[in-house]
Amino acid sequence: MFLFWGIYITAFAQHIPHQIKGKVLNASSLNPIEGVTVMGNGLFAVTSASGEFYINNVKTDHCVLTISHVGFEIKQIHVTNDENDEDEEAIKILLNPSRTSLKEVQLYAKKQFHQPIEMPMISKQVDKEFMEQNRENSLMQTLSKIPGVTTINIGSGQSKPVIRGLGFNRVVVVQNGVKHEAQQWGADHGLEIDQYAVESIKLIKGPAAIMYGSDAIAGVVDIQQPSIPLKNTFKGEVNVLGESNNDLLGISTGITARTNQWFYRTRLTYRDFADYKVPTNKISYENYLFNLHDNNLRNTAGKEADASFSLGYKNNNFITETTFSNVNAKNGFFANAHGLEVRNSDIDYDSSNRDIDFPYHKVNHFKITNNTKIALGDHQLVIDVGFQNNIREEHSEPVPHGYMPKPENSKERRFHKNTYSLNIKDDIHINDQHHLVAGINLEQQQNTIGGWGFLIPTYQRFTAGAFVYHQLKINQKLDIMSGIRYDFGLINTKEHFDWYRTPVENNDGTTSQVYLQRARNKSLDFSNFSGSVGVNYQHHNTTYKVNIGKSFRMPLANELASDGINYHMYRYERGNINLQPESSYQADVEFNYAGNKVHVNVSPFVNYFDNYIYLNPTSNYDNSENLQTYEFTQAKVFRYGGEVSVATTLFKKLELQASGEYVYSRQTSGAKKGFTLPFSPPLSGLFTATYLFKDLSFITSPKLVVDYKITASQEEIVPPEEITEGFQVMNISWFANLYLLNKTQSVKAKFKINNVFNTKYFNHTSFYRLIDVPEPGRNFSISLTIPF
Amino acid sequence: MKFLKPYFILWLMVVTACSTDNDIDKDLDKPTITVNYDGGFPQGCEQLQRGNTYIIKAKVTDNLALASYSIDIHNNFDHHTHDDQGKICDLEPIKTPVNPLIFKENFKIEGNLKEQEIEIELNLPESIDTGDYHCALSVTDQTGWNTRTSIDIKIVE
Repeated sequence: MFLFWGIYITAFAQHIPHQIKGKVLNASSLNPIEGVTVMGNGLFAVTSASGEFYINNVKTDHCVLTISHVGFEIKQIHVTNDENDEDEEAIKILLNPSRTSLKEVQLYAKKQFHQPIEMPMISKQVDKEFMEQNRENSLMQTLSKIPGVTTINIGSGQSKPVIRGLGFNRVVVVQNGVKHEAQQWGADHGLEIDQYAVESIKLIKGPAAIMYGSDAIAGVVDIQQPSIPLKNTFKGEVNVLGESNNDLLGISTGITARTNQWFYRTRLTYRDFADYKVPTNKISYENYLFNLHDNNLRNTAGKEADASFSLGYKNNNFITETTFSNVNAKNGFFANAHGLEVRNSDIDYDSSNRDIDFPYHKVNHFKITNNTKIALGDHQLVIDVGFQNNIREEHSEPVPHGYMPKPENSKERRFHKNTYSLNIKDDIHINDQHHLVAGINLEQQQNTIGGWGFLIPTYQRFTAGAFVYHQLKINQKLDIMSGIRYDFGLINTKEHFDWYRTPVENNDGTTSQVYLQRARNKSLDFSNFSGSVGVNYQHHNTTYKVNIGKSFRMPLANELASDGINYHMYRYERGNINLQPESSYQADVEFNYAGNKVHVNVSPFVNYFDNYIYLNPTSNYDNSENLQTYEFTQAKVFRYGGEVSVATTLFKKLELQASGEYVYSRQTSGAKKGFTLPFSPPLSGLFTATYLFKDLSFITSPKLVVDYKITASQEEIVPPEEITEGFQVMNISWFANLYLLNKTQSVKAKFKINNVFNTKYFNHTSFYRLIDVPEPGRNFSISLTIPF
Repeated sequence: MKFLKPYFILWLMVVTACSTDNDIDKDLDKPTITVNYDGGFPQGCEQLQRGNTYIIKAKVTDNLALASYSIDIHNNFDHHTHDDQGKICDLEPIKTPVNPLIFKENFKIEGNLKEQEIEIELNLPESIDTGDYHCALSVTDQTGWNTRTSIDIKIVE
C-alpha cells in the first residue's frame, strides 16, 4: 500500500519543490560525520558538524543520492518524495568505514496520509525560497513575478490580486483551507495577510470553482498551511527589513516547535513606513497640478502589526491544528486626490512624512481556523472550520457635499463583517484506477455598515456548495479528471436612508425635503452548476494538461444594491437587482518541458463570459448629485491569452530566464461593445539573469539576480481609463548565506535595488494610475533572516 | 515529430497574440468643455451679484456625439477645493455657511451634436450667503466619456 503511493506520487505529483533532510552517522560509532558530500540528480549538500544536511527546492519526486566521505564507503540511497507529509523524520544514513561493500538501500516514505488528487489546473507552486527571494512590500507584489499574475497596487503597502486580467472578487484567496474574506470593499482595499507567516502558496490560473467555490472564476491564491515541524525540534528566526524609498522598517519573528506529537507556531510582525517617493516633483491630473514636497507622495505612510499563534497535534492518522491570527493596519491615502476627487486641506501634510492624516483607513482582521485531517483506511477526511471578523474604517476630513451638511466626525464609512465557514471533504481511494473526492462548503457572512457615507448596504449572505470529482488513471502516463459542483446562495440586503434631507421635486411642482433611500430590503437567491474535465499526460520530462470548464460567480451585494455617491471616484454608483450570476467557459492548455538544461512552459487559454458584471460609465448624470452615473451591467466577453517562459542554465553558474504574458479581452455585447475590460494588464516580458558566485570564507552561495521588465503600452482602454505608455524597469538583487554566528546556522542576507534607474513610469493597473501618479522611484532595501 | 510539438504550441501562441484586432472603431476621445473663449461665462475669479440673473455659457465638443451636461455650484467657504483655470483668486476668510447657494442641474443634448454652446440660466436670490463659490461643469458623450472643468467665482452683494 505505502509502496503503491510512492509510485503513485511519482506519476502524478505536480513536482512541488520540497526539501530532503538527513543525518549522516558513522555506522560503527554512531557519531555524526561532518563534511560528508551528498549529491545526485543535480542536487548537492554537505553535512554540518551535527552530521545534518538539507537539500532545498528538490523538484523531482524520486532521486538517487550518493553519499561519500573520505575514509568511508560510498553509499547510494533512493529517496522518494513524501509530498504532503513534511513530518517524515530526517533520513538517517549510516556510513560504513572503508572496505565494506557498496550497498543499495531503499528508503521509502512511510505514510498514512495519501496525496490528495488534483484537477489538472494550470498552477504554480510557490515555496518559501521564492517568497524570500522575491519579497516585496505586499504579498501580491511578491507573487507578481509569476507570469500571468499582476496586481492592483494601492500605494506602497497594499495590493489586490489579478490573474490573467481578472481581479477583485473573481480571484479567491484561501488561507489554511478557508476562504479569506477581505479586499471586497473597495478598489483601495488590499489583502489582509501577514506575508511573513506564509510559507507556501499554490497559485491557480484559470477557473477552479470545483474545489474552491463559485467565486474562483479567474483563479485562486491558495495560501497553504506551513509544514509541520520535525519531532523534538525548536526553531526560530528573526527577519529584519529596511527600505530607503519609504523609510520602511519591518521586523518579524517566528518560532516553531514540536515535542513528539504536539506542535506550535507563533509569529509577530511589525512594519512602519513613511510616504513613498516617486521620480517626479509634480503631478498633473486633468487641469490640476500638485507639487510634491521632496518627491514624497503626500500621506501614503502606513503601519501594520500582525500576530499569529497555532497549536497542533499529530499522530499517524490524525492531524489537527488551530490557528489564531490578527492583522491590523493603518494606511494613508494620497492627500491631494483620493480616487478622482481633488481636495484642498489645511492639514500640513508636509510637516512629517511619517504621519498618517486624512484620508486614511484602518483595518483589523481577526481569524480563527481549525484544520483537521483524519486517515481512515482508504478514506481521508479533511475538515476546515473558520471564523473571521474584519473591520474597516475609512476616515476623511468632514466637509459638506451637495445637500449633505458637514458631518460631525471623520468616520466616512465603517464596515464590520463576520464570516463563518465550514468545509468538509472526503478523499477516497477506491482502487488503482479510481479515486474520488466529495465534499461540501458552507459559508455565512454578515456585513453591517456605519459612518456618514454610503456605498455597500448591510447584508447577510449564505452560500452552500457540494462537489464531487473523480480521477481515472488510464495508465502511468495518462489520467482523466472530471468534476461537478452545485452552488446555492442567498443574499439579504437591508434598506438604508441618507441621514440628511435632499430636496425632491414632486409631480405637482412642489418640493419636499426627503431622506433619500439608498438601499432596499431585498432577498435574492442564486444557484448554478459548475463542471470541468481535464486530461493530464506525463511522459519523461514533458507534461501536457488540458482543462475545460464552466464556472460561475454570484453577484455581490454592492453589484446588486448600491445606490449612492462614491465621492472618492467622483461618481454615482447604481447597482442592478436583476443581475444574473456570471458564468464563464474556459479552456486551458499547459505544456511543460523540464529538461536538464532547458525548461519551457507554455500555457495559453481561451475564455468566454456569458454575462460579465461590470460597472459601466453611462452618459447620464444622476438627478440628486449631478455626478456621472455608473451602472452595474452585464456583457458578453471574449478573452484569450497566456504565458510563456523559458529557462536555461549555462556553465552551471548562470541561469537565464525569460517569460511573457498577454491577455486580450473584448466585450462583444452591451453598452461598451468593442471595448476591453477595466484594468487590463498590458503585454509584458520579464528577463532574469542569475549568477552564482564562489563561496568566500563565511559567505556561501552568493548570487546576483538582475531583473529586467519590459511592458508594452496599454492602448486597450475603456472609459474612464487613460492610455498608459510602455516602460522598462530594472531591479538588481544580491543574496548570500552568511555563517556569522556559528558553522551550522547561516544568516540569509538580501540586498536589493528596485527601479535602478529611477525611471518614471505608470502602471496601468495601479489604483493611483487614475490620477496620473507614477510608480515608486528607486528603492534600496536590505533584509536579513537570522535563525536562533 | 514529438519534439516539434512544443514549438507548434509556441507558434500558435505567438500567432494568436499578434493577430490583428479587426473590431469596430472604438471611441477613445473624451468630449471637451471650456469657458475660455469670448463670451464664455463665468471666467476665473468672476464676481456675481446677488439678486441678478446670469447665463452660464460654455462650449462643448465631441468627436462623435455629445450626450449630457451638468452644472454644480457650491460654496467654497472652507477652501476645500480650487479650480483648474490657472488663476489664483483671493479667498475670503473661512466661514460657516448659513444659507449657501446649492445649484445643481443636468441636461440632455439631443440630436447627436458634435459641438454646442451650452447656456444655463442662473438666478441668484437675495437671501443666499455671499462669498467664495465653486462652479463645476461637466459633459459626457454617448460612449460614456466624461470631462470636467471648474471655475472659482465669488458671489457679492
